[in-house]
Amino acid sequence: MKLKFKIIGCMLSLVLLAQLIRPEEISSVKTKPVKRLAGVPEEVAKVLETSCFDCHSSQTRWRWFDRLTPVNFLVASHIRDGRKALDFSQWDSLATPQRNAMLYFALNGILSKEMPLSSYTALHPAAKLDQKEIDLLRNYLLNNVVSKPASVESNSNGADKPFMMEVKKSPNGIAYLPNYRNWKAISTTERFDNGTIRIIFGNPIAVEAIHEGKTNPWPDGTIFAKTAWKQQQGKDGSVYAGQFVQVEFMIKDVKRYAGTKGWGWARWKGENLLPYGKTVKFDSECISCHRPERDNDYVFTRPLDIRDLNKK
Amino acid sequence: MRLPFTAGVFPLIILLMTGCKPNTTDRINNAASITSTSRLPENPLEMTPMAVSLQPDAKTMSTLYGNGIATKRLRDGADYATGSVLYLVTWKGKADPDWFGARIPDRVTTIERISFDQNGQKSYAFFKGPAWYADTDMKEEERRGIILSIPIATSP
Repeated sequence: MKLKFKIIGCMLSLVLLAQLIRPEEISSVKTKPVKRLAGVPEEVAKVLETSCFDCHSSQTRWRWFDRLTPVNFLVASHIRDGRKALDFSQWDSLATPQRNAMLYFALNGILSKEMPLSSYTALHPAAKLDQKEIDLLRNYLLNNVVSKPASVESNSNGADKPFMMEVKKSPNGIAYLPNYRNWKAISTTERFDNGTIRIIFGNPIAVEAIHEGKTNPWPDGTIFAKTAWKQQQGKDGSVYAGQFVQVEFMIKDVKRYAGTKGWGWARWKGENLLPYGKTVKFDSECISCHRPERDNDYVFTRPLDIRDLNKK
Repeated sequence: MRLPFTAGVFPLIILLMTGCKPNTTDRINNAASITSTSRLPENPLEMTPMAVSLQPDAKTMSTLYGNGIATKRLRDGADYATGSVLYLVTWKGKADPDWFGARIPDRVTTIERISFDQNGQKSYAFFKGPAWYADTDMKEEERRGIILSIPIATSP
């Protein structure tokens, strides 16, 4: 009986001692209140504040149970990942298009039920969004944050482009693939959130996979190239592909890209095709955005069935 | 007593885990695909995409496709040579179920074809779904003008 008490006593003191070890995120230096989001209606800002700010800004409200070691380390790691993916503390330093992208990213996280994390809402029920709050965000974006196409006059459609240029590798080592324009279109999309129009090209292996109905998972060797152009209004009211924005690649190779969900991710921006990303690990951004599609091999696009119909 | 219980619980957990696994079906956009070319000379989706356009009033979206000869225009901006075949496929657009902020093709509404024949002749054909019967379009001249003036989506 005495031994039992001793063991319990030992464990208790260990738990108490452990409380001295805490993640740095818990210190007040790392927790700063964030100003109300500028340019956004109060009720919209409030919803985001209540549901997202604990992990997606420097304004974390630590509850007593969040502070307990070892729980606090788990919470701190969530916050670190959360801020990396989306950080509302940077709002004031961002231009309008980036702010808008942030809002759409947040809402899509909510709509796909990825966010807020269920492990978080279990203990922080106030962060859960009800349908009214979701509709509020949705309607606000739909009515106020829709990119309009540029007018006809600002057309500088690829004039005087250099004939051949050397394109630098992506920071993760992926080299540019110049021949994607000969590939087939597996879909096209209109993006009213950022005012672009897109063609998603698939290489022959991707098209073959569609033929065979084997697209989940996509086979090794599959490559997608998603190109985006600025929307540009024509005289007849139609909207066309204007200025080239970027091309993004997803390259499937389960072994080679085992660390990044089986895909190599790369993006080149602008007429000069500047590789995107500051560090080797920039692709964690790509993955965090594609995460809701993890049951669909991380691919958003629902491809067209491209069949050679003459081959019966 | 405990062993059979544990032994029973494990398969149950495994069953639950596999049972709850989301089905991994292919997500082909069948509605937006062209599945029969009984009346079409070729399947435009097999060709190379050259340009895209949106018609905000009609809520439709179109892609301009070209055959091998036509796509030379992508590289050097040259006029369409004899033998070029162009297709303009127009879809009704719909909200992307996977991304609020995007619209994707729904069903195909019209297919238009222009071919550049000998002597600089341009033939226009218009196909209406779902069986893609060739139809006459009163505004043939206008449509031809519109299709040929769609700016090519250029990329570096």
